[in-house]
Amino acid sequence: MAQRVTNRVDLLDPYEVAQLGGIELAARGVVEGFLAGLHRSPFRGFSVEFAEHRPYQPGDELRYLDWKILARADRLFVKQYEEETNLRSMVVLDVSRSMDWVGGERRLTKLEYAKRLVAALALVLLRQRDATGLIAFDERVRSVVRARARHQHWWQLLAALGELEAGQGTVAEPALRQVTALLRRRGLVIFVSDLLLDKDLALLALQHLRHRGHQVMVFHIMDPAELSLEGPPEARFEDPETGGAIVARPRELRGVYEETVQRTIDEWRSSCRGGGIDYHHVLTDTPFGYVLRRAAASRSRLG
Amino acid sequence: MIGFLQPLVLFGLVAVALPPLLHLIGRRLPPTVVFPAVRYLTATEREHSRRLKLRNLILLLLRMAVILFVVLAAARPVARVASGTGHPPTAIALVLDNSLSSGAVVGGRRVLDVLAERARHVLERATEQDQIWIVLADGLPRRVGRAEALELVDSVTPWPVRLDVSETVRIAARAVEDAPLSVREVVVLSDLQETALSAGEPSAVPVLLWDPPQVPENRGIDSAYVEPPVWSPSGEVIVRLGGAFGAEAALRLEADGRELAGAVAGSGEVAVLSATAAERGWLPARLALDPDELNADDQWFLALRVADPAATRLERGVGSFVREAAAVLRQGGRIRSGDEVTLADRPVAGTTVLFPPEDPAMVGAVNRALAARGVEWRLGELVDGEWVVAGDAGAARGAPILRRYRLLGSGPVVARAGGEPWLVRAGDVVIVASRMEVEWTGLPVSAAFVPFLDLLVNRLAAGESWVLGATPGQTVRLPAAARSVLVAGEELAVQGGAVVAPLDPGVYFLRAAAGDTVGALEVNHDRRESRLAPAAPTAVRATLGPEANVLGDRAMDRELFQGARRADLAAILLAAAIAAALLEFALASVGGAARRV
Repeated sequence: MAQRVTNRVDLLDPYEVAQLGGIELAARGVVEGFLAGLHRSPFRGFSVEFAEHRPYQPGDELRYLDWKILARADRLFVKQYEEETNLRSMVVLDVSRSMDWVGGERRLTKLEYAKRLVAALALVLLRQRDATGLIAFDERVRSVVRARARHQHWWQLLAALGELEAGQGTVAEPALRQVTALLRRRGLVIFVSDLLLDKDLALLALQHLRHRGHQVMVFHIMDPAELSLEGPPEARFEDPETGGAIVARPRELRGVYEETVQRTIDEWRSSCRGGGIDYHHVLTDTPFGYVLRRAAASRSRLG
Repeated sequence: MIGFLQPLVLFGLVAVALPPLLHLIGRRLPPTVVFPAVRYLTATEREHSRRLKLRNLILLLLRMAVILFVVLAAARPVARVASGTGHPPTAIALVLDNSLSSGAVVGGRRVLDVLAERARHVLERATEQDQIWIVLADGLPRRVGRAEALELVDSVTPWPVRLDVSETVRIAARAVEDAPLSVREVVVLSDLQETALSAGEPSAVPVLLWDPPQVPENRGIDSAYVEPPVWSPSGEVIVRLGGAFGAEAALRLEADGRELAGAVAGSGEVAVLSATAAERGWLPARLALDPDELNADDQWFLALRVADPAATRLERGVGSFVREAAAVLRQGGRIRSGDEVTLADRPVAGTTVLFPPEDPAMVGAVNRALAARGVEWRLGELVDGEWVVAGDAGAARGAPILRRYRLLGSGPVVARAGGEPWLVRAGDVVIVASRMEVEWTGLPVSAAFVPFLDLLVNRLAAGESWVLGATPGQTVRLPAAARSVLVAGEELAVQGGAVVAPLDPGVYFLRAAAGDTVGALEVNHDRRESRLAPAAPTAVRATLGPEANVLGDRAMDRELFQGARRADLAAILLAAAIAAALLEFALASVGGAARRV
């Protein structure tokens, strides 16, 4: 039976995508492929206050097409609304030491994967003329790029992403507090992290954002090797951030470890759902297109 | 009550400590793995530590149990399960070692008496349904009834023969294998000398060997021989003592009812006894050592041949070296002047030792004279080269030969050079292929020359004789001239050129057709029987196979008749070991994937 082979970059293995070039090329390829498969804008606002017209772009929803202009001038324009035009999104990216880890060959580190995912998300948002910014953090805020809607702003985001190196520990609250300061109006907060942090504090901060009226999306990045426990018969497992270690025998603990990981993921999912937060568990071998599509689908449900 | 057939294996129980030791050793310095999700691991360990510890403890105990069961099974535990003497019909071969060493006295009792008592104990447990074979030191299995077996055991005495226990067990095993009974075993009652074992096929039949009684240190005569072979009338007897006995002992040479010589020697030493015989002819002699706990190996029988020195005449052509050596022999009393033997470079009347003539032109005349005397040998081509003497040439063996005549003809060859005849004897003519000069051979200028000339005159020319050695019961090939053997005053005819040496040690003379004594057969004990050190059980199993077990009194009682009164627990323990191993495997495997969601 013939194997189905795709040439769509958004559906390729992330490692192969990374081999195509830098973050910019990879993100462009992913977004082009991703948008080609959509019939409407993936991330849209939720107000109905009309603001202005703009030329139609592939992916725009047909329901916003201005049929009158089409009839009169035979040109495609869509109507834009106040909130949609002014949607401001802020990506909060975890660049702690634990993100700079890969559990196998032919895979990206969690940080490299996250950078490419963030670049693709930003490009999608900017193409809709949504203002997009970036906050990177480890145990403190490392980098801030204010939200802008200009298309050239994407290059500024790429430059910031390219300069990011893995830091030390993980403390998310300062970065999330800074989002509050930067997004004075209701907007979209995209939190990208491996969530190896204080869960209660992080959830509290995320729920605070939600209470302020922001849409919140959480991308939980994990390496597939973190789902299971492999290694020599007995090993000293060391936390790269804290230096703390535990001696364990993978063969003995594998089953209950997997159970613990699965339970943790479920707890994050249910806690986020309970707070109206959009949660996505992402493995670093998942094609970027799947992640974007899944996120867009859940945004549609929420919107 | 539980006993062990291989109690030494129980030392292996220390291996039970291996799993905890490996656990402790394995805990040291495990490799470090950088792993971001350590917090999940920590949570896991915290939540399941009690269960994991319990599981690990159970695994450790199971591993220890596996080793414990295997070691216990290897020690062959047996348990008494019933009383009474009943047992299934058994084909049993009882090997009773009445070899020479069984005559040793331990604690005032002869070893054979102790073995026989044990044999009676075994036979008393036999029933009419059992089939019994008795095998003594001759290695022959005798199929007997129970009563007959008891009579045989009561009457058995030590024989001066060697018993190869390993070979005898194999013979006994073959005997019971043919029996139409399902239960078969070989019981060995022996002093189990280390020297009684030999390599071979392991026994397929269970072999029960009784743990032998402690034996004393022993000393005996290992070997003895006469030098020179013909005394005239003086000579020496060289004796080697064997065994392991620290103190020295007196050694005496006796012949014709009187002591000829004496010496003192210890184990491992060689004693030389010089003596002069009063009589001429063949004399039976006996070496006697101070007695110890085993008397049978404290004597050795020898045949002395005593003759006057040969009356010798020399012809001028034999050369100056022969003349000077003859003068030495004459001075030493080994030869005297006379016409019995002539040393010459041509055949002369009477017994002749013939050396080649100095003038090659005389070779033709020599050959014609040999032909005229009916001698089949001729002097052939004169050849130069480098050879050494091989064969029965006494001291001349290994001497270099540079020139010789090829000896052409047929008949007995005494010695060869370069593979061709060099010294031959035909009737009363002894022919040497080289002249005794330095251009022909290195012999005249060596120390071996005078003894070689002595051999030519006193042994070869004056008359050949044979002295053969054998152990009791050994088959011996005799020289063609021997037609009978004198045993206890009776002449037993030789058939097929060989005889079986009599069981009683002693000297037995060989007679020619005309009634002349042409040699002697010296029958003495096998020196391996003097070595009383018992074999280790491991050595016994190495030669007889894993079915052989050396057992003490009580273990022997248990094991007799295929352990009719006991149960072997080894199979149960092995099953328990397998069960524990399977449980360990299951627990270890399930633990790795436990409670996967």
